Amino acid sequence: MFAKAVAACLLGLALGLWASETILANGGPFGVVAIGPWSVATTAGAIEADPYTRASLERSGEIPLALGEGLKMIARVDDAGRPFDPRCTYRVGSRVPAARYWTLSLVNADGYPVENAAGRYGFRSSEILRDADGGFSIAVSATAHAGNWLPIGAPAPFALVLRLYDSPLSATAGGMEKSATPAIARENCA
Amino acid sequence: MSAREGLGGAATFLAAVAIVAALVHFVVVLVIPVLATHDAFARLEGLGPAGETVALARPGPTERLFPYADPALAAAFCRYDLSAGPVRVKAPVGRAGFASLSFHTRHGAVFYALTDRAATHGHMEAVIVTPAQERALAAHDDEDNPSQDLRIVSTTNQGFVMMRAFSELPSLYGAAEDQVKTLSCASEPTPK
Repeated sequence: MFAKAVAACLLGLALGLWASETILANGGPFGVVAIGPWSVATTAGAIEADPYTRASLERSGEIPLALGEGLKMIARVDDAGRPFDPRCTYRVGSRVPAARYWTLSLVNADGYPVENAAGRYGFRSSEILRDADGGFSIAVSATAHAGNWLPIGAPAPFALVLRLYDSPLSATAGGMEKSATPAIARENCA
Repeated sequence: MSAREGLGGAATFLAAVAIVAALVHFVVVLVIPVLATHDAFARLEGLGPAGETVALARPGPTERLFPYADPALAAAFCRYDLSAGPVRVKAPVGRAGFASLSFHTRHGAVFYALTDRAATHGHMEAVIVTPAQERALAAHDDEDNPSQDLRIVSTTNQGFVMMRAFSELPSLYGAAEDQVKTLSCASEPTPK
């Protein structure tokens, strides 16, 4: 009986810690709005954030953007909902929601840029190559591509981060149209 | 032991595991912000004293202190401590595309932000005060000649201010870095 109670406590402890780690590593379950493959933490960094969002922030050490500065959107899956595979090539484009500037960067599971031979960790709206009608296309791939190439530097899980600076949409991020966000299409996989 | 008792015992055991797990989980979620030994403020503390402007390293694969930092933005911070009086935060707006100030509590939450669009006379400027300092300053205000200061009330005595500047091209990152280093955070005397 006693041994059983101890076993239950130990198992419960392990399960509780594991669940906390898993939930907090992903930013907590509340205040996250999904727009297609992109997710926006609408309350990240806000004073009124829920305990999960706050604990997640404290744990990661991230210094959040204020809504008045801009908006951070993260994608870990493609348009079809499949988790990113570092062996595949993805096409990201061709438009972004209204903003004074935007950037698209690639990070590892911990949120840090991934070393690559090209030394390219992201693109700015002010440096990107555009097509005739103002759209753009970024190839996210481990192998070199002509045009805008964002390298996948390591065969490990990664995420794409889109930031909109000085965006009029910040306050109403939840109501953003999917068609206004960049599509993420999976192409060939090696 | 009959089969039925065995089943009941297993159910009790699983229920006990679930209850302990749920308790542990809620304690962890609530305790992390209280301990806050490795949050953004604690990490910034290791980089410089309060009141001093410190530029953050350019985000890259080997800089692993602050996750999800944009490699296109230069950033600098100063920690403030209001126990010595209000803190005046001032930063000139350069030619960079986008620049901003964000005001964070001890726990990292943002309680105010300004962008270069809100700059007056080429500066982004604000005074961080405690609720008590705000009342004291308001009592001293001249009704005919009101203060032009933007006063921002911080709910915690300590916190930090981040300045960010956007570089339009990789080659302009150095200029953005020079701009964020001009952030100044100066303690002012507490009004009597």
